[in-house]
Amino acid sequence: MTDALLQVDDLRVTFAIGGREVRAVDGISFTVSPGATLAIIGESGSGKTVSCRAIMGLLPAGTAIGGSARLRGTELLGLSDAELRKHRGSDLAMVFQDPARSLNPTMRIGLQITEAITTHRKVSKREAQTQAIELLRLVRMPAAERRFHEYPHQLSGGMRQRVMIAIALACRPKVLIADEATTALDVTTQAQIMELLLDLQQELDMALIMISHDLGLAASYADEVIVMYAGKIVEQAPAAGLFGAGGAVRMRYTRALLDAIPHVERSAHTQLPVVSGRPPDPTALPPGCSFAPRCQYAEDDCLAKVPALAEHVPGHRWACWHPCENGGAA
Amino acid sequence: MRIMALVQQTQHQQVEPGARDRARRVAGSPALRMVGRRLLAAIPVLIGVTLLTFAIMSALPNDTAQAILGLRASPSAVAALNHTLGLDQPFWQRYWNWLVNVLHGNLGTSIEGQSVNHELALHVPTTLGLLLYALVASVVLAIIVATLAARKPNGIADRISLAVSMLGLSIAPYAFAFLLIIVFAVKLGWFPVLSGAVTGPASFFKNLTLPAAAIGFGLFAIYTRILRADMVEQMQREDYIVTAKAKGVAPWRVLIRHALRNSMFTLITIIGLNLGGLVGAAAIIETIFQVQGIGNDLLTGISNHDVPLVEGITLFFALVTVFGSLFADIAYAVLDPRIRYGSSTS
Amino acid sequence: MVAPLPDITLASPHPPPLPSLVNARRLRTQRIGRALRLWVPAGVLILILAICFLLPLVVTLPSATSGNIIYNNEPPFSPGHLLGTDVQGVDIFSQLVYGGQVAFEVGISVTVIGIAIGGTLGVIAAYFGGWVDAVISRVFDILIAFPALVLALVIAEGLGPSEMHVIWALAVFGIPAVGRVARGATLTIRGLPFMTAARLAGTRRWRIIARHIVPNIMPNIVTFSLLGLGIIIILEGALDFLGYGIPAPTPSWGNMISRGQQILSVQPEYVLIPSIALLITVAALNMLGDALRERWGAQ
Repeated sequence: MTDALLQVDDLRVTFAIGGREVRAVDGISFTVSPGATLAIIGESGSGKTVSCRAIMGLLPAGTAIGGSARLRGTELLGLSDAELRKHRGSDLAMVFQDPARSLNPTMRIGLQITEAITTHRKVSKREAQTQAIELLRLVRMPAAERRFHEYPHQLSGGMRQRVMIAIALACRPKVLIADEATTALDVTTQAQIMELLLDLQQELDMALIMISHDLGLAASYADEVIVMYAGKIVEQAPAAGLFGAGGAVRMRYTRALLDAIPHVERSAHTQLPVVSGRPPDPTALPPGCSFAPRCQYAEDDCLAKVPALAEHVPGHRWACWHPCENGGAA
Repeated sequence: MRIMALVQQTQHQQVEPGARDRARRVAGSPALRMVGRRLLAAIPVLIGVTLLTFAIMSALPNDTAQAILGLRASPSAVAALNHTLGLDQPFWQRYWNWLVNVLHGNLGTSIEGQSVNHELALHVPTTLGLLLYALVASVVLAIIVATLAARKPNGIADRISLAVSMLGLSIAPYAFAFLLIIVFAVKLGWFPVLSGAVTGPASFFKNLTLPAAAIGFGLFAIYTRILRADMVEQMQREDYIVTAKAKGVAPWRVLIRHALRNSMFTLITIIGLNLGGLVGAAAIIETIFQVQGIGNDLLTGISNHDVPLVEGITLFFALVTVFGSLFADIAYAVLDPRIRYGSSTS
Repeated sequence: MVAPLPDITLASPHPPPLPSLVNARRLRTQRIGRALRLWVPAGVLILILAICFLLPLVVTLPSATSGNIIYNNEPPFSPGHLLGTDVQGVDIFSQLVYGGQVAFEVGISVTVIGIAIGGTLGVIAAYFGGWVDAVISRVFDILIAFPALVLALVIAEGLGPSEMHVIWALAVFGIPAVGRVARGATLTIRGLPFMTAARLAGTRRWRIIARHIVPNIMPNIVTFSLLGLGIIIILEGALDFLGYGIPAPTPSWGNMISRGQQILSVQPEYVLIPSIALLITVAALNMLGDALRERWGAQ
């Protein structure tokens, strides 16, 4: 068994909004091995983004963060900002959702890439420029030398996202977190960027954490999948254990997400089984299972007690009082 | 900053991407077109300004001839001089004559007998020096203070900057001038009460520091407030700031290299918009300190009913304001890469 | 004397805090702070207005225009003279009070004229667009291109010193200033969906303007006018100071400063007292404008 690269234990993030406590992340644990791909799936407000930002130290100062997140044994959560900055951008990098807004519009992209390099390494401007152009080539940016001097608005969405990836890869991170990295792109570009990320992952022997609301993406690309709801992990398993032949989705929420994916094979003019209702208000979580109010199969005990996340089957954890019997194929 | 957004909207709304690409590449860079557009738009304003200046002057009781000849002159002599000076011609005729003269660079003769051009040439450098001093000092200080304040919103530096800038916005420049005189000239004696002639760098700073401070304090206040607000807003709401932090860039560098950089554009526009007030304040401050600039001349001219002189100086001030804001517009267009380089070239 | 700018000038110094930093106690402190920022300047203004306009009705103040030269240069707190007397024996406190009356009369008149004429023109320009907008905007641009003080000076001097003339002279500046704000605000609103809905529903033009546009631009106009009022008062003071505003025997803060100029080095209080009055008044107006913008801000 390989040593865990990133080990997260009982991570908790609490905000205080309007005088009330909001548990954005309520005790999640996971492990990422080198070279592995982890997908964290959830709706908006499930806590998926907040948890990764907490690990990166990108949450506003004063947010209450508890638990542990160890990168190669180094505890990240207690570190001062100055200490954390040494890891941020070098060992641990992040790619964000909207490349149009995530790049400084008045700075040439080359400069934005070299900034990532020079922040962590002492190299000359010339050397940094060479490395940056190399990075642009690595992310398959056509005409890399020319693009180096251009501004973000001169690039298309897909190209901007490549720049973001180049920035993230500047110091050969061990873990790359892609937070909805393809959500703002059109479908074709999405596929291109995902392929790029996976190739890079292999080339650089990097661990990849994919944050998304798209279960299909997880099915296609991930080794391991975590499904989050209302701040908690509700299902956690290797992808093979969930999708495809022999896979069995257990938690009702995951099942509902899968069912909501439109299939070509489905007969036309039938209603799409979307998940009814909306994610719960984090300041007013229901007493029992957070998903119960929206679950078709909810029973009384679901509403009364919170199901614990337990490893019912080796390698496969879920938190549900009445899980699916036959998960069925994706 | 709604109005800011509106100003930007009206400035940028004519940059059409896509279909006009080919034509645009032929016509030259988008920045050039924008500059051209601005210049064209400024022309009616310039014409209007000259017309208004002249109209106001004409509407006022014009006793130039009387003033020249003195109170004892006979009415017929006054009438004769009026005729010679062309002052009894119809309005549009006089306006046209005057405009033609102006375009030839001739601003007429003051009642003292000297050419207005000469007066201006003599004193404009002093006024310009004073204005530049005030402007540069206030911008530099504003950048420093706003950056310190934006580093920690609601922190100590921030609260102090807000209090000081509120003071700067609320105090009348002439009142502040007297305060400065009382403290720095009378009590401390660091600067002279009245400004002497400016002959070199030493006398420049000695004589013009207090007047520049009187003018600049209000400017400093405005610039500081706007810069600070702009930077804080960026730091809190913009995604590229998060990206910069995610790279591991230290907070000060994020603030300066990303937020401040973008705020400079806003600053340029504000400077341009505020020039009218700058010039107005200069006039009164020059009088208080007896700086030998054209502001002082203006007031003297007004009290002497020296219409040609007042006309000339007023026109000069108005033109400076129009060109100043035009320049700011152009600078913005030239520096903002989104305008300079147009849209995607993929 | 800089042109009052809308939102930009005093862009809210108090941006709304991020959710994570707000907890119960901080929330309360912030609410108290916000209330104070609104009511303290408002209270100060009400106090000033009361002193200037109500006090003379209740208490007989010594004359503000003439004084007994025997009792000149009396220090503050002398019997019968709260703040003492000036070089000519005229009571200083009375001068402040009546000078304040003048300042507010001029300021409010100009503001009202500005809103009435400038506001209307601005809304019309934005609403009808086309050449109407082009013409009105050009006129505004031309008037604003003039340094305010210079314009006001020339007009006031030409018309002769009197309160009415000062008002008109300053109005020439106030009208385009308010006009631009009104125009900008109307433009913003014009594009909003509910405006299209109203038009499609067949609402008559004037109704649209009255019931939809005006209430929505009022916050902008009000906050701008408060800041503008401060600037007008300062400008009016400048005119008086230079001698082209309110004529000599009638008291005004600018006149007081001007007269005090002569003996600045020996007795600075003659300049300082009216200056402080100006400062407090304008600061209160600015802070109130800030606070109101904060309250009505996030639109």
